[in-house]
Amino acid sequence: MTSGCACSEHSVAPALERVEVVANDRIASGVGLIVLHAPRTATAVRPGQFVHLRIARDSAHLLRRPFSIHRVRGERIEILYQVLGAGTRLLAERGAGEEMDLVGPLGHGWEIPPGIAHALLVAGGLGAAPLGMLAEELATRGVAVTVALGAPTEERLIARDLFENVARRFETATDDGSCGAAGFVTGVCETLLADEALDLVYTCGPEPMQRIVAAQAADAGVPCQVSLERLMACGIGVCLSCVVPTSEGQKRACVDGPVFDAATLMWDRPEIR
Amino acid sequence: MSGSVTQTVDMSVKLGSLTLRSPVLTASGTFASGREFSDFLDLERLGGLVTKGVSLEPWEGNPTPRIAETPSGMLNSIGLQNPGVEAFCEKDLAYLADVDVPVIVNVSGHTVAEYVRVIERLESEPRVDGYEVNISCPNVDSGGMAFGTACAPAEEVTRACRAATRRPLIVKLSPNVTDVAEIARAVAGAGADAVSLINTLLGMAIDTATFRPKLARVVGGLSGPAIKPVALRMVWQVAGAVSVPVIGMGGIMDAEDAAEFMLAGASAISIGTANFIDPTTAMRVTDGLVEFCRERGIGRVSELTGALRT
Repeated sequence: MTSGCACSEHSVAPALERVEVVANDRIASGVGLIVLHAPRTATAVRPGQFVHLRIARDSAHLLRRPFSIHRVRGERIEILYQVLGAGTRLLAERGAGEEMDLVGPLGHGWEIPPGIAHALLVAGGLGAAPLGMLAEELATRGVAVTVALGAPTEERLIARDLFENVARRFETATDDGSCGAAGFVTGVCETLLADEALDLVYTCGPEPMQRIVAAQAADAGVPCQVSLERLMACGIGVCLSCVVPTSEGQKRACVDGPVFDAATLMWDRPEIR
Repeated sequence: MSGSVTQTVDMSVKLGSLTLRSPVLTASGTFASGREFSDFLDLERLGGLVTKGVSLEPWEGNPTPRIAETPSGMLNSIGLQNPGVEAFCEKDLAYLADVDVPVIVNVSGHTVAEYVRVIERLESEPRVDGYEVNISCPNVDSGGMAFGTACAPAEEVTRACRAATRRPLIVKLSPNVTDVAEIARAVAGAGADAVSLINTLLGMAIDTATFRPKLARVVGGLSGPAIKPVALRMVWQVAGAVSVPVIGMGGIMDAEDAAEFMLAGASAISIGTANFIDPTTAMRVTDGLVEFCRERGIGRVSELTGALRT
């Protein structure tokens, strides 16, 4: 499905998998963590990939919702979600033991080029979701990890424990100054790019934040990968809902992404906010 | 009618000169050219594969957001993004060369001449088994639905395409008309071998938090279970109005839905939006139709066509 690169690690075909809810808890204001028993996906998924989850059982909320995999633990996958609309409110109501189904694993995840020694992960809010599994994978491969995590308040700093466990350096920023630097995480990012010898920047978060991080990385001469979130219907490359303008033409966030090389994205186009 | 549960069901249906192994087709624009679905189902069990719309030159499509979920349905305004007929031949038809399934190419154009040129280009391709002429896409400024909402242009584009090919020619009808039967009669009279309906219903949705439309293009096509009753009614009207076969679609999610369309008069049916929700839908519907017939002692699925009791 994703081809061209030497990433045989992305080559497991997606499937429709029936899964069971193991736990579903509110972990911060408006943020839930759902744990699913999903053996096939848990084995096949690579960092940065996502699953397309059917939330409703009837046709009222018809479309699946894409969620990146935050972590894998054995046969279980963990998904972070923000309770935003009717769909995610329904998801928040799902309890342990309930059955759901997903299509996955989907998409082209983070690239980990051979030979990198030190990576910076920049997460804004729920942008921490797809970076969790990446941080663990990098650490396993012996790549030094520095993390910059931002949120409106300390309570909403997501996945702090995970990042603290694997990061060599861990910095936070909060809008209200309740933890770490006061202000946006982009300020922390700028400092880290100046302080550290970095081979790669990985980022996910609100698009205005990603735009700034991509520009900061470009100025510092460090390659940058971004994970984009897009509305999508099929998730498998068919419907063309999730197209993103790139220097190589329109790309589908669901199969060509969600992770893109920041240098190829056309940040000046209105389709990227 | 034996009622025996072990009987076999003949699933083949005739669509003009085409004999299909099953009445279950894929709706244009929801299945690409099939490759992405090969992970989920056996393409060779489909009655036919109707491709995404193909135009003469590459089309960029519309700005995003291009979709919005609505109650029991979705709006789309993709705008027929496609790489053009040359790329379609090089990539999509090359892939389909090794897949044993009837291929019906959905043809789009801004002008009558463009429709004809796409067909002319495809005439030399042996992998193409027929054409579906798209005169019903609501998401492009010229062409598309502009041809499908009045008899004269519908007739004109059908006649021109008919003159360009002897292969089976299906015309896909828009529901955004006053009298769909009238348009169906016009295209049948102009040489269409079959009609397919319905394409999406024009609709819109608004984000009350921002006062903005949910689609960048403001309006788009509604599909999914929300439109099934309208689709069914139109299939029933058209089947009563023309003698050419009808391909029914609009919100089919399962075999019961498919059976309803056949009872209303469809010879074959297409799975559209449901492909996005469950990529195995076409197989579920195929197996379900076999079961549906078995349970009722029906030996041939084609017996369902027009079997509505009124």
